[in-house]
Amino acid sequence: MIPKNLLINKPASPEIIRIAEKLFKNDEPLFAVVGDLELDSRYGEGAVYVTKDRIVAIGSGFDGGFFSLDFADTDKISVKRMYGNAVLKAVTAGGSTIDLMRFTFAMADICDAAADFVTKVKEGESVEDRLAAVEGTFKNLRSFCPKCGRKLPSPNADCLNCQGKGKIAATMLRYIKPYAGKLVFCIFLSIVTTVAALVPPYVTSLMVDSVIPSGSKKMLVAVIAFLVLVYVVQYGIGALRAYHLRIAGDGIIADLKKEIYAKAQYLPMKFYDKTSTGSVINRVNSDTTVLQQFMLRITQEAVVQLFTMIGIIIIMMCMNWKLTLLSLTPVPIVVLCSRYFGKKIGPLYRRIWRRGVAISSILSDTIPAVRIVKSFSSEEKAVKNFSRQVDDWLYEDKKAGKVAAIFPNIITFLITCGSVIIWFVGGNMVIDTPDKLSLGVLVSFISYTSMFYNPVSFFANLSDSYQNALASTEKIMDIINAEPEHDFGKDNTLDTIKGKIEFRNVNFSFDRSKKVLNDVNFVINPGDVVGIVGTTGSGKSTLINLLMRFYDDYEGEIFIDDVNIKDIDMGYYRSQIGYVQQEPMMFRDTIFNNIAYSVPGAHPEQVLNAADVANAHGFISRLPDAYDTMLGERGVGLSGGEKQRLSIARAVLKNPGILIFDEATSAVDSETEKLIQDAINRLIRGRTTLMIAHRLSTLRKANKIIVVDKGNIIEFGTPEELMALKGKYYKLINIQSMSEKVAAEKAAENFE
Amino acid sequence: MSRNFIDGNEIRITVKDKIFCDVEFFSGEKLCNLEPRRLFPVSGLSEYITFLDENGEEQFILRKLENMEPSQKELLLGCLEEYYRIPKITRLVSRSEKHRIWLWNVETDKGNYTFEIINHIQSMKMFYDKRILIKDGNDNRYEIPNIYELDKRSQKLILPDM
Repeated sequence: MIPKNLLINKPASPEIIRIAEKLFKNDEPLFAVVGDLELDSRYGEGAVYVTKDRIVAIGSGFDGGFFSLDFADTDKISVKRMYGNAVLKAVTAGGSTIDLMRFTFAMADICDAAADFVTKVKEGESVEDRLAAVEGTFKNLRSFCPKCGRKLPSPNADCLNCQGKGKIAATMLRYIKPYAGKLVFCIFLSIVTTVAALVPPYVTSLMVDSVIPSGSKKMLVAVIAFLVLVYVVQYGIGALRAYHLRIAGDGIIADLKKEIYAKAQYLPMKFYDKTSTGSVINRVNSDTTVLQQFMLRITQEAVVQLFTMIGIIIIMMCMNWKLTLLSLTPVPIVVLCSRYFGKKIGPLYRRIWRRGVAISSILSDTIPAVRIVKSFSSEEKAVKNFSRQVDDWLYEDKKAGKVAAIFPNIITFLITCGSVIIWFVGGNMVIDTPDKLSLGVLVSFISYTSMFYNPVSFFANLSDSYQNALASTEKIMDIINAEPEHDFGKDNTLDTIKGKIEFRNVNFSFDRSKKVLNDVNFVINPGDVVGIVGTTGSGKSTLINLLMRFYDDYEGEIFIDDVNIKDIDMGYYRSQIGYVQQEPMMFRDTIFNNIAYSVPGAHPEQVLNAADVANAHGFISRLPDAYDTMLGERGVGLSGGEKQRLSIARAVLKNPGILIFDEATSAVDSETEKLIQDAINRLIRGRTTLMIAHRLSTLRKANKIIVVDKGNIIEFGTPEELMALKGKYYKLINIQSMSEKVAAEKAAENFE
Repeated sequence: MSRNFIDGNEIRITVKDKIFCDVEFFSGEKLCNLEPRRLFPVSGLSEYITFLDENGEEQFILRKLENMEPSQKELLLGCLEEYYRIPKITRLVSRSEKHRIWLWNVETDKGNYTFEIINHIQSMKMFYDKRILIKDGNDNRYEIPNIYELDKRSQKLILPDM
């Protein structure tokens, strides 16, 4: 029978349940997986139910709707990942292959777990242990936010992405808030200038109707003096407002840039695997500016224009309500046009943004790699490629330009029509009934009308900058709202790190279409020097990436000194690991600062000692500027071996409990390798060390070897044990020994 | 190490298990359980097909499908079609966004389906100004062979993001 609390990824359809209930009369499934494709790859449903000794597939592709296979009759069961979906396949003891269930990659992890369960139980492992691993996978599957689909820190936890998340306006408000005082002050100044701007047309009507016809020069001078005073107030306050506005605007953009950069530092490696650096740079530089301009438009100009519009309507209504209503006739058309324009221009701005990113990506690819471009004489090709992208951008920008140029002119035309109507109707009224509407009032009314259309035009055109800002905001939000690395064990540090490392049932894939690590289990004891060997792409570096917590969304657990690494403060944890990469990364700074990068504020003697241990002091002291030598971008000016020794010096200075060398000597000559190897030998004493290596010479110090192949640990033990095993390691050593022998013979010949 | 390039008329294949086949050369040599895969699954669908053995080691590369005998070509295409089976979107029924996650409800040649796209910029790529490949939040792929052959509404919803 089917237990009520059956471990299942989602509810099965009634048809599947009906068949399952019929099938499990005498035994009980331990877990089930409901798939989302039919065997012919049409969207539909299939399922597998797994008991302790058989697996049952249910679906429309089987005769009778199901297929049952005892573990004993199974030769092999595995998940075959294809380009667009995957299949759970079984090979029977008789040699025939059966597709049990087809599914999208959403189900890939649990189907892997199901296949592992059957394989391992059949091999004799305990059902309870294997079921625990399956439960872990199901738990992981439930750790997704039902709202946004992002992975949760722990099952049923609140989603950081969806927590208190507002719309664009709310996001903008967050950045505006620190400058609220300044902006409110600017709004106050705006009101003053707006009121001042409304005075001159009224004064005009006074001049035309009363002052000039009266012939009083004294009154004329007084009115003009008043007018000058109004202008002084208007423009003086305008200047003050502009200054404060700039200060606030710069503050907003600075905060935005800082936050995006800071956020970018804490984003997981997965984000950078999928996002080009050009795109990130574009967001920090261009998009923040677009957003800042829009925020200022909204908080300042929009407010000013709104006040202006209200003020003018009140004044116009007081002057002549009939003409006021007449002047409002073009407004609905302007609003409709504006909506249409917004819809039209929005997508165009999104396309322009994409083209802009493409240009930035080429720049960030080719400018740093200018040596490669030159070495392949690819300057012309690079120029052509860049030109093509710029032309693409130009094409899209022209399209947007056309729309953006036509629309404001249509608005202006409509506004002009409004003024013409007022001239026509008002002119007739002045001629026919001068007692009801004087010439001065008409002139003043026309001035107010044209002033009134400014805010209308502003709000009509706002959709243009709104759409532009929306496109930029979307991109900025991608970073600001991206899920950061989770520091589950914040503030949880260990007294000392002894260096015991354990991988327990670890599975990992960068994306679900390809599994990179498969059920990895091993224990490394404190002080062990472990060589990790395997072919390129076998998963060696991924093991290190997981240990470094560059990727946290793996299945299974990794322990340091019997503590799950996810439960340790991330900053503290990484500070306890010295990591030397194959391609050492240097910053555009002095050699001293590059070494001291690992321990900011390190004493000069500590840095000198670290450089000495790393065999770097000798070459540094021979440089004209010694430790003050300024390195170019990514360490330009130093050889690969020199950079590597600086990177080892960094690790020495850090004094970590665990050391990791990721093919640290693979790209240097034998002499430099010896220097680096000497440095490494001095550094590793008494520390747990993991060394990814191809060269035999690097592995000589190792007391344990891990052999990785296609994501599996195929051999693990002491070098002697593995040699006796005569497996992959044995073969590798033989090949290496032979090639070293040949190389030595050749070197001897050349020497002779 | 030189690759073993061959032409379509040099081999005869027998399909074993949908995506696997046995290959017999005219010299009489026979290789079993090979898995044909495209070396250019995006840009060159009928050129440079690699044949991998059970360990994933390449045995040879078939230059072009065109030179094959029609029935043989059909068999090989069947293998490839099975491996590269991705739904072809025929209509975008609806598209909505919440918390920067886009929900697409589509009609495909494999039926109706709803999927999520985490990031429009990274998950959609246009090739040759008409073919669009889409990857959803679970790394499943979808294809629009020619965006301009979709209905106007679908085009209007998709094209601005290209």
